[in-house]
Parts: sequence; C-alpha cells; structure tokens
Amino acid sequence: MRKRKFVTAVAVALGVALTATACSASGSGDDVIKIGTVHPLTGVNAGDGAQLENGAKLAVRDINAAGGIKALGGKELAIDPGDTKGSAKTGQSEAQRLVSGGAVALIGSYQSAVCANVAVVAERNKVPYLMDICGDNSILENGYKYTFRMQPPNSRFGASTADYVKAVAEQAHRPITKVAYLHENTAFGNGVSKAFAARAAEIGLTMGPSISYDAASVSDLTTQIAQVKSSGASILVISGYYRDGVLAAKAVQTVKPNLDAVVGAADGAFDQPQFPTDAGRAGNGYFDVNYHINDKSKKGQDFVKAYTAEYGDAPRTGAALAYDSVMVIAAAIEKAGSDDPEAIRNALGKTDVTPVVLSDGPVRFSETGENLSTLPVLTQVLDGAPHVVFPEQFATKQIVFPAGPGR
Amino acid sequence: MTTNLLTRMSPKSPVGADGSRNLTRPLIYLGVFVVVAAFAPYVLPESRQAVAVNVLIIAMMGIGWNLMSGYGGMFSFGHAAFFGIGAYTDAYLIVHYNISPWISLFIGAAIAALVAMVIGYVAFRYKLRAAYFALATFAFAEMLRLLATNTDWLNGTAGLHVPLLTEDSWSMLQFGANAPQYFYIGLALLVVCILITMFYLRSRSGIYTVAIRDNEEAADSLGVNVMRVKLTTMGVSAAITALAGVFYTQYYIFIDPDIAFGNAQSVQAITPAVIGGIATIAGPIVGALIIGPLNELTADWGRTPPEFLDFLAGRSGLDVVVYSILLIIIVLVLPKGIVGSIRHWWRQR
Repeated sequence: MRKRKFVTAVAVALGVALTATACSASGSGDDVIKIGTVHPLTGVNAGDGAQLENGAKLAVRDINAAGGIKALGGKELAIDPGDTKGSAKTGQSEAQRLVSGGAVALIGSYQSAVCANVAVVAERNKVPYLMDICGDNSILENGYKYTFRMQPPNSRFGASTADYVKAVAEQAHRPITKVAYLHENTAFGNGVSKAFAARAAEIGLTMGPSISYDAASVSDLTTQIAQVKSSGASILVISGYYRDGVLAAKAVQTVKPNLDAVVGAADGAFDQPQFPTDAGRAGNGYFDVNYHINDKSKKGQDFVKAYTAEYGDAPRTGAALAYDSVMVIAAAIEKAGSDDPEAIRNALGKTDVTPVVLSDGPVRFSETGENLSTLPVLTQVLDGAPHVVFPEQFATKQIVFPAGPGR
Repeated sequence: MTTNLLTRMSPKSPVGADGSRNLTRPLIYLGVFVVVAAFAPYVLPESRQAVAVNVLIIAMMGIGWNLMSGYGGMFSFGHAAFFGIGAYTDAYLIVHYNISPWISLFIGAAIAALVAMVIGYVAFRYKLRAAYFALATFAFAEMLRLLATNTDWLNGTAGLHVPLLTEDSWSMLQFGANAPQYFYIGLALLVVCILITMFYLRSRSGIYTVAIRDNEEAADSLGVNVMRVKLTTMGVSAAITALAGVFYTQYYIFIDPDIAFGNAQSVQAITPAVIGGIATIAGPIVGALIIGPLNELTADWGRTPPEFLDFLAGRSGLDVVVYSILLIIIVLVLPKGIVGSIRHWWRQR
C-alpha cells in the first residue's frame, strides 16, 4: 500500500519535471527586429495560412533588400513564425511565446476566434497587433488600444455590397424585384448578411428569403437554391467560403433560377483565380465584393510577379494584406526611429504606405483601429478569370449585367 | 476491485472507493504535489505560462470526467456541455451584470450539475446503456452548441469577450500578462477538484457509485437507490468540469460556441484520464501533464530539433502524430493507463 502511493507520487513529480523540460528558452538575437506572425500553418486553413505567411515573408525580403530600417542604421527585419493550428488556445500561447521572445509587433490570424485571443495577448503585453484577415466587427468594439485591422470589417462588406448592387442595377436600368440571401452560419456569414439587410432597408432594396447553411458539412445546395427560385428574387447574394461557393454555383446551374446576378459579399470563392476552373461554365458572370489586389498599379503587378516567382502559386488577396501589414509596421518603425512596441503603435498609420491591395489612399487608422483606406470592389468572372468591374476608376473590364448566372 | 461487494457497500467501512483505508496518505501526496507544482512559475520561462495554465484546465476536466466515467462507469462523450455551461455562465454574467467570476464559479457549477442531472434522468429513465448513453451525452453537447450558435443574447456565433481590465483585480479574477496569480488560482481550483473527488469517493454515495459500476443489479437488489446515486455522481462530475470552464474564460477572455461546446473539448476531458489511468485520482493529472505540453514540445522540435531528430526540422503537425502514437501505445500496452499500470505492477510484486 505504502509503496504504491509512493509510486503515484513519483509519477506526479515526474510529470511536473516533464512539463519543466518541455520548455526551451528561445534565444533572441538583438541584431534583427522580429515581427511575430500568428497564422494557421497546419489544419484545414493551412492553405490560406501559407499564403498569409508568404506575403509577410516577401515584405520582409523587400524591406531588407532595400537596406533595412534606415532610421536604425539599416537594421534588418525578420519573421518569427507562430502556428495557430486553427485553434484559439494555441493562437494565444503562440502569440505569448513570440512576444516573450522579443517580437515587437504581431500580425494574423485568419479566424476571428483566434484573433480575439491574440488581441488579448497584444493588449496585455502592450504590443501592436495588425489583423491582416479578420472580419468580425466585435473584436475592435472592446476598446482595444493595440489591435488594428487591415481588411474591411464584415459590416463594411455587407453595406458596400448593398450599395454596389443598387448602383449596378440602376446603371443597367434593370429594377430589382427582391434580393435573396444565402450565407454560411458562423460569425462571418451572419455578420455580413445582417449588415447587408440593414443597409438594404436604408436604400430601399426589398429583401427576399435569407437562408443559412453549415459550410463545414454542406454537400449540396440545390434545396436552398430552389427556395430562392420559388421566391422570385432577381438577385442572389452569397457569403460563404470556397468549397461551398463552388457548390452554390453548381446548384444554380442545376436549378436555373431566374436571376439577373449572383453577387458574393466577401465570398471566399467568386473572386479567387482558381474558381472559374473549378466551377467551369457554372461560374461565368459571378460577381463578388471583396478586397482585391490593385491590378492596375505597378506596385500590385510587381507584387503578383514577385510572389508567383518566389512561391510558384498565384497570390490570393490575403497574401497582399499580410504584405501590406508588414509594410505598415516597417514604416512605423522607420517613422518612430525605434523598435519599441509602444513607439511603433503610436506611429502606425501615420506614414505614407500605399498598399498593394486596392485602397482609397495611404493606410490610416480610426480611433478604434479600423483601416480607413479600405475599399471593397466588385469583381466579375469574365473570360475565365475574375476582373475588377466596379467602381469604374479601378475597372479592368467592362461589366456585364444582367449576367444570367448558370445559363 | 475484487473485494467482497458487501464489505464495500457497508457505509461503516472506512475503505474508500479507490481501495485505500484512510485519507491521511493521499492528502500527504497531494501536499507534496502542490509544493512541487508551486515552483512551476519560477522554473518555467514566462512564455510558457499559458502551457502550465492549460495543463491545469485539462487536469480539472479530466478529473471531472473521471469521476462520472471512470469511477461511475457512465461513459460520457459530451463533457463539453458542462465545460461550456461554466464558460458561458462566467462570460454572460460578467458582460451583462459585471458579476465576479468567484460567484460565477458557484453559479456555473450549479447550472452544470442541474443540466447533468436532467440529462442523466432522461437517459436512465429510458435505460440507455454504454454506447447509447455515450451517444446521448454527445448529442446533448452538440445541442447546446447549436443553441449557443443561434441564441442572440449569448451573442450567437460571434462569441463573448470578457471586458479587459487595465488593473490587476482579485475580485474580477483578472491579471496582467503572465501574472503568476493565474497559475496559483488554477492550482487552487485543481486542488479543490481533487479534494471533492477524494471526499466524494469516501462518502456513502461515492462508495455506492463504484458498487453500481461493478454490479448494478447486485447493488439494486441490496436496496441502493441506483438512480439517485448515479445522478448525484453526474452532478458532482459536471460541477467540477464547469469550474474548469469558468477558469478557462477568465484566462483566455474569449469564448464562442465552438470553443465552449465543440467536440474537441469533450475529447480533452477524456484523454487525460485514459492516458493517465481511469478511476485513479492521480491519473488525469499525469495525463494532463503529458497532453498539455505536447503541442508546444513538438512545435519546438519542429522549429529547432535536437541533434537526433534533425529530419523533423520545419515540419508541422507533429503533435498530432505523437499524440496519436502515444494514445495507441497506451491503449495497447497500458490499458489501465500510466498510473493504473504502475499501481497494478506494484501490487503484483
């Protein structure tokens, strides 16, 4: 009896020792300025995580090639990578590890739940955190001082989509009977669709059915599209991810509802370079309102070229957002003349960084940390690739409306 | 557990459900454990505090699960339900009424216990056994997840943020980055969970619980109120798990339906007990000490591998591989878990 208990105690003590050995001190060299990235490098979102990570790496490469941070005697930047594995808990401990290891700023994190946890680490450690992709409005409604957002928030997407739909229909003199909405049922889809409905009410668009589905488990959307067809809506707005976006396009082709247009609101499929290939003819004429790389600017073209050459893959807009995030941080370090996190935070957005992503001038931040220069644009799949078609000053192709989706 | 059922069932018998005569020795071991663990914040680098706190949370969940499923034999695959109730109670009460988490600990535990009893009553009333019972608990957790997802006053899919304070506050259980207070409060809660388990197993109800697990018909025929004992055990188990949920929310500041009620959370309650040893007090703690740091440890190997593991450089997802292999080995080689096997081997000598 006595011996048995003793062994138990030894086992417990061993366990504690195991925890202790599980920790290796991360050596931090003072010769570089470390920026911590907190992205999903493994798990279901690893594809987008890799794009974000690569965009950030490319920015560091460009800055170092141009002579580093000149205000600090050419000090170089370095990426200290963290892997969230798509889990909020892991994101939190990775962010803390990076900050403790000397990272002066953080960027990330693709999923809103993870962003929420990383933001807490940033606030508590007083280190600036730039959210490259993170749509959820509520994160910046907590009065956080060190957390900033590069992309437009979900509400902005919803409102912009309503405005664009109305403007495009008026331009073509096609009255809108009803707008049906199909969205995935997490924070993203719910947030965007709510904002759309609110804006639609303001500008006098009639709403039809609003249908939600589970993006993770959905395998067919024909029932939902049949519901849209029977409602007699002339416009269908969709907020979802990539795989379900392709499913929606196939369902529209099967059911053939009488629609003038299918418009994505921050949809993860309709503006992606690979969407026309995966959806085939079903994807022709699809619209999407999203952030987009500025294909007209030299900066944007250079970025696409450099990324493709380096990683052998076309960059998604996320990569460009991560690139811009690092550029904004680097400019802040340059302006502050210091790599102290507090100084960086105070200089953020007070510089002249014109982003690679389509924008309304250089990056500026609001009191709450929203990027004021964001500009969601309308893209359309034409001749087998998404092109910007609206607002006109950014358009690379002539808009086709009514688009007659699925026909 | 081969002792004569009658002796085990006699309420006068001082034998605890885990076979020990009295509490003195286990309490001494617990004391030793606490003293050793108390050094963790001094030994661990600052950046590892999250791992240590995570171990405490996992251990609490494992202890909660172990009481109902290990000692009670009622296999639960839905302990996320109770964890989530604790987590959401805390977040909701703070966000809307600014109620101290210390009070939420009790409220969350009470609500979780109540819900557990309702689930238990319904399941036993319709005689759900073994796998069917496990499925019912799983379905319940899933139901709560969907409920939270579609409930506006719980903020639906967006989740709840606990307001971040600028000052350390004991009353609101919130401290700055890497404050050792989190670890000590977590450790104190863990000790409370262990003590609850120890004393419960020595109570009449606890002794009956094990008896019912070993032979329900016999216990029933000897006049044990099976339903009442089972529900009590479920309630205590759920309450312990809810404490972990409240503490989780206070440490991580954010909770959403998937984190609170997701399947991963239910698994997190099961694995420490299975690896460490089902129906042992120390098992879930040992299990948590292995699972908790696994993620960080393997990530470190991936980043800067030791000499002999060079081929791992730059690989990710290693933790899942190690975790799986570990689970398979444990189940095949040490079916009683680490603590259980050591104990078994010790007895055989």
